[in-house]
Amino acid sequence: MIIGSSDQVPRTTLLKRFPVPRNLGVGPESRIGRGKTWSAPAGAVRVKAFEIYRYDPDSDGNPRLDTFEVDLDDCGPMVLDALIWIKNKVDPALTFRRSCREGICGSCAMTMDGTNWLACTRFISDMAAPATVYPLANMRIIKDLVPDLTHVFAQYAMIEPWLQTRTPEPERERPQSPEERSRLDGYYECILCFCCTSGCPSHWWNGDRFLGPAALLQAYRWLADSRDEATGERLDILEDPFRLYRCHTILNCTRTCPKGLNPGKAIAEIKKMVLERRT
Amino acid sequence: MMPTSPAKRPRPLSPNIQIYRPQLTSVLSIANRISGVVLSLGAVVLVIWLLAAAAGPEAYAVVQGALASWLGQVVLFGCTFAFFLHLCGGIRHLVWDMGYGYELSLIYASGWAVVAGSVALTVLAWIASLLLGD
Amino acid sequence: MDRQHMRSPLARAMGLGSAKKGVEHWWAERVLAVALIPLTLWFVASIIAQTGSDHATFITWLRMPVTTIMMVLLLVALFHHTALGLQVVIEDYRHAGSKFAALVIMRLTCFGLATAGIIAVLHIAFGG
Repeated sequence: MIIGSSDQVPRTTLLKRFPVPRNLGVGPESRIGRGKTWSAPAGAVRVKAFEIYRYDPDSDGNPRLDTFEVDLDDCGPMVLDALIWIKNKVDPALTFRRSCREGICGSCAMTMDGTNWLACTRFISDMAAPATVYPLANMRIIKDLVPDLTHVFAQYAMIEPWLQTRTPEPERERPQSPEERSRLDGYYECILCFCCTSGCPSHWWNGDRFLGPAALLQAYRWLADSRDEATGERLDILEDPFRLYRCHTILNCTRTCPKGLNPGKAIAEIKKMVLERRT
Repeated sequence: MMPTSPAKRPRPLSPNIQIYRPQLTSVLSIANRISGVVLSLGAVVLVIWLLAAAAGPEAYAVVQGALASWLGQVVLFGCTFAFFLHLCGGIRHLVWDMGYGYELSLIYASGWAVVAGSVALTVLAWIASLLLGD
Repeated sequence: MDRQHMRSPLARAMGLGSAKKGVEHWWAERVLAVALIPLTLWFVASIIAQTGSDHATFITWLRMPVTTIMMVLLLVALFHHTALGLQVVIEDYRHAGSKFAALVIMRLTCFGLATAGIIAVLHIAFGG
C-alpha cells in the first residue's frame, strides 16, 4: 500500500508490532502490568474500548494498561475527546497534556495504535478495536500519558535555535529575499511535538548521543536561513558519528510527522552540507 | 535498609519497539541491515571457497560438495536474496543521500519496488543458474 | 549514578562534545557502495555462468587477467564496506566496554579475511 501523506492510517497491517519479546530491553521499573477495566455507562449503545497506559508516581506500582469503555454517542470525534470524556466522566486522575485541540501546540503527542500522532487530530474512527493509547514512545514518564521531555528539549537547545550574526545590527531589519525566505518552508512549521524523535529507532538505542530528527530538522532550519552567520559553527556542533550520523535514513520520522514535514530530507541536506565543506 | 521512597524510583521508560507499529520505512531499514550482516557471513564463505580453490582440486571438491548439499543450497539462496535486497535497498539509499526521493509517496513506491525487484532478481538468478548448471 | 543525575540536562545532552568527524566514514561507505554495484553484479553473473564447473575450469577462469583484477577489487571493496557497515551496527547496539572489544575483533577479522582472499586469488593467478 502506497502512503501518500503522513495522516494516512493503513487499513490493514501485516504486523501490529515487531516480533520481539515483550520485555526486550525493558528495565524492571518499566514493565507494564494489567490494569483495571472501566465499563461503559449503562445504556450506552456505541461503545469503543480504549487501552490506556497508566503510571502513578505516587504509588509503588509499575505502569499498567487500563481499559476504558467510551460511549461514542456522548463523546467528540477525536482521540483527545475520548481522553477528556474519560477524565470528566470516569477517572479524573487520568493525566495528559493538551492545549489547542487543533494540531498547532504539539502538547497531546502520543503513541496511538502503535504510531505517533497528535490526539487532537486523530479520529477515533481511524483507531483499531480496542484502541491503544501510550505516552510518546521511549520517554521517561512523569505520569500516565505525560512524558518527561527535558532531554529532547536539551538536545534542541544544543543546536542553538536562534539567529546568530556578526555583522553589526542594521538600522532596520536584516533583509531576506522571498526566494531565500522560501527555503525555510517545510522547516519553520515544526511545532516540537517530538512525534518524529520518539518514533525513531536510532534515537531509541542511542538517544543519549544522537540528536534525533526533531532537533536536526530545527538545526537545518537555521542552516538554511540566509541571514544566519554561524553556518560553520553549526556544522561543527553537528558533525559527529552519533549526533548526526546515527541517522540511518529509516524515515519513520517523515512517515509520522503530524505536520506533514520532512525531517529525513532535512537531515540529508545537513549531510550534504557537511560533505560539501570537506570535498 | 532504608525503604525506597516512590519519588526516588527511576521513572519508567515508555515502550518503544515493544509497541511501535512496523512500517515499510522501518521494516526495509532493518531488512537492509540484516541482509548486510548475512552478506558479511556470505563473504566468509567466499573466502573459504577461494582458499579451497587455491589449495587444490580435493579441497575445492569438498567445498563444492558442501555448497551443492541441501543445506548449502539454502545458504546460497539466502545469500542471493540478501544480496539483491541489499543491492536494491542500497541504491535507494544512495538516491536518498543525494537528496532525492523524500516525498512520502516516493518513499513507499521505491520501498515496494525494492521488495518486488529483489524477489524477481533472486528468482531470475536461480532460474539462470539451474538452466546453465544442467 | 547520583552524580550523573545531578548534571544539568544540557550538560548530559552535550556529553563529550562533538567529534567534528564522521563524514569520512559515511562518505567512504557510499563510495564503496557505488563501486560494489558493478563489481558484485559481475561476480554474481560470473558465478552463475560457472555453475557446476570443475576445479580446472574454475582455475582457468580465475587466471584470466580481467578476472584476477576484478576479484581483487571486489575483495578490497567488499571487506572495506563490510567493516564500515558492521562498525555502525556494533556502535548502534553495543555500548560501554564490550563495544571496543567487538570493534577490534570485527576489524581484524575483516582485514584478515580480505588478505586471505586476495592471497588466494593471487596464488591461483601466479602460482604454478
